[in-house]
Amino acid sequence: MDKRLYFDDFAAGQIYSLGTHRITAEEIIDFATEFDPQPQHLDPEAAKASILRGLAASGWHLCALAMRVMVDGLFGRAASMGSPGVDDVQWRRPVYAGDNLQLDAEVLETRPSSRADRGYVRIRFTMTRLRGAEERERVMLFVSSIIIGRERGNA
Amino acid sequence: MWFEDFPLGQKFVLGSYTFTEENIRAFARKYDPQPFHVDKAAAEKSIYGGLIASGWHTAAVWMKLMIANRRTAIAAGAESAQDNFVSPGVREIRWLSPVRPGTTLTYVNEPFAKLDWPTLPQFGLIEGRNEARDETGSLYYSFINRVLIARRAPITPR
Repeated sequence: MDKRLYFDDFAAGQIYSLGTHRITAEEIIDFATEFDPQPQHLDPEAAKASILRGLAASGWHLCALAMRVMVDGLFGRAASMGSPGVDDVQWRRPVYAGDNLQLDAEVLETRPSSRADRGYVRIRFTMTRLRGAEERERVMLFVSSIIIGRERGNA
Repeated sequence: MWFEDFPLGQKFVLGSYTFTEENIRAFARKYDPQPFHVDKAAAEKSIYGGLIASGWHTAAVWMKLMIANRRTAIAAGAESAQDNFVSPGVREIRWLSPVRPGTTLTYVNEPFAKLDWPTLPQFGLIEGRNEARDETGSLYYSFINRVLIARRAPITPR
């Protein structure tokens, strides 16, 4: 079991590799059916005729998937207390069924809160499509502040 | 509708959604399994004092209501089903207040800016303010959406 992470364990410049996930057509269709029922996210045939040229994940699905990889890869063992928001979500490239996606986090800034039991960690998240050993393509980026508990005084 | 004809400054009520213990936990089990989203007992002991919705759940509901609203507009003949709405991203997502089971949020969209998007000269970018409030008017969630819409006349790339 890895060590539990607190606010003071984070520092600007750190890079965390959070994990990878190969996205399936079933997952793309499952998310889209409930939250983004457009043909390019639901129907492989209709998607071929769309400007995305194939069954592609909803951008909101990629955000939700990034969250899942974050929880599994880092926040499950960090004293995460939630997030006040996200700046500048960039959906750079369509993501297709079968794509192998990697999520990385780069710590941009840490700032203690006025409340002694927590601090803010500003992180740039990058989702990259892996194709073979060499080819990497950034498909989504966003920057988010996460509230992380401090070791002393953290309930 | 063409980019050139797209009206700014009009508010569109997209619809309402009620967050329940069931849909909060169902979303979070798949996408955000932090204790305060999935485990009622653990959530009660967390800083939130009870179960709250994942912020990405609150965000995804906007898309759900936007599509439902657009289908209604297409059925009424107010919009063409051929219009391609593609988004390069969104800005300034703000989760302002925890969303607890039983909260009903109404989402409102207000397009406010038109911008060039030089890498795709046949499109223009519309930015819209979006807010989700409960029945008392309290603001829970806001962000700025961005959507590319076809131009009648492409701009000349510099």
